[in-house]
Amino acid sequence: MSITPEERLDVSMTINGRRYRATVEARRTLADFLREDAQLPGTKLGCEHGVCGACTVLLDDLPARACLTLAVQAEGRQIRTVESLADGQELNPLQRAFREQHGLQCGFCTAGFLMTATALLEENPTPTREDIVETVSGSLCRCTGYQTIVSAIEQAAAEGQTDTEGEDQ
Amino acid sequence: MKPPKFRYVAPRTLDEAVDHLAADPDAKVLSGGQSLMPLLAMRLAAPSILVDLQHVPGLDGIEDQGSSVLIGAGVTHREIERSDVIAQRLPILSSAVVHIAHPQIRSRGTFGGSTAHADPSGEWPTVLLALGATMHAVGPRGRRTIEADDFFVGPFTSTLAEDEILTHVSVPTTRTAWSFQEAAVKRGDYGLALVAATGIPRDGQLAEARVTVGAAVGSVRRLTDVERLLSQGPVTDALAQEAAVTAAASIDPISDIHGNSEYRRKLVASLVRRAVRELTNGA
Repeated sequence: MSITPEERLDVSMTINGRRYRATVEARRTLADFLREDAQLPGTKLGCEHGVCGACTVLLDDLPARACLTLAVQAEGRQIRTVESLADGQELNPLQRAFREQHGLQCGFCTAGFLMTATALLEENPTPTREDIVETVSGSLCRCTGYQTIVSAIEQAAAEGQTDTEGEDQ
Repeated sequence: MKPPKFRYVAPRTLDEAVDHLAADPDAKVLSGGQSLMPLLAMRLAAPSILVDLQHVPGLDGIEDQGSSVLIGAGVTHREIERSDVIAQRLPILSSAVVHIAHPQIRSRGTFGGSTAHADPSGEWPTVLLALGATMHAVGPRGRRTIEADDFFVGPFTSTLAEDEILTHVSVPTTRTAWSFQEAAVKRGDYGLALVAATGIPRDGQLAEARVTVGAAVGSVRRLTDVERLLSQGPVTDALAQEAAVTAAASIDPISDIHGNSEYRRKLVASLVRRAVRELTNGA
């Protein structure tokens, strides 16, 4: 056995185009790494066991629950969080669509929806309403009733221009 | 909801991974982690070491081998969902995969992880038992294969030893008549009842039928009474109805907060009826 199991490990990953490095417990989730170690609190933690979808981020461009991923599993990988979407105070088209369609109220679930929708639109720029419903089924929202969220994603798709590149923060 | 403390290692070879498992009976394999992480968060599991397979080579790939498809244990549900080989050769898998949780889970969770976890509500155990798949495992005593009939032995229990790793699943493509049915409160939730049925169309009849049920009965098992019935005649609505009655009579469903035993019995009967009706699809 050439590698010894460790309780604390050095982890480094690229988040929103910037390199982050920390020594963390093996049990540290990616969500806690993002919020505590990288000081990026845009990613929200709801249930912390994979049901609510609030903590969804992009891991190597694919949507993933940050609470169901260990920070050590993300070693060397590319992460995008909600902080990558806006350019300073300038919302990206998807975020603007959420505001215009009232796709949020309290906002706690919004980061997860935005990242899930970002991944959908990058893979399929012209989703049907059914595709959108299927995709957002992995996130819980207790305010909106979902219809406005689906409409927001439809609007962003129709505008055809999601800002897909994570900006350096 | 934070996981308990454990040690972690990400070996670079399968042999190393097996060594770690063999050295500590409380070590656990980490693949996609989509079932393990909730268990850790809720402190239902407390492994001493997690052996992460993400850097172990050779666990990927979906390979068409003619009469079977060899699927690497590390293949994600998402890869199954998007695979042309699966869509063409094993469409029952394409049909079942969309019932597995949500896109954010399917991008991380793995075929082998879900199979080895042997969750009775998991889609893959019900499907693989209906297809008569063969599991390929490696451990300190070498490599071996385990037939699906000998693999799923109880809830969350397979015959994979604690120090063995599931590396591939060989799934036969000869069962061209198939159906997968699931009843869940909403799409992506754990199923209340799962039914898979397969067979080989032969002379207007269905040969070698296999019918399995998951979730509703607390484990994954075959409905052999229904299988015998299906061998007796051409697939008709009348036969489907008879299969539903036979299925309902041959199970003892679980009761829990999500549905009582009688409700689940009706669900299984309905799903069996629908599944048998669909079995004309490969003829």
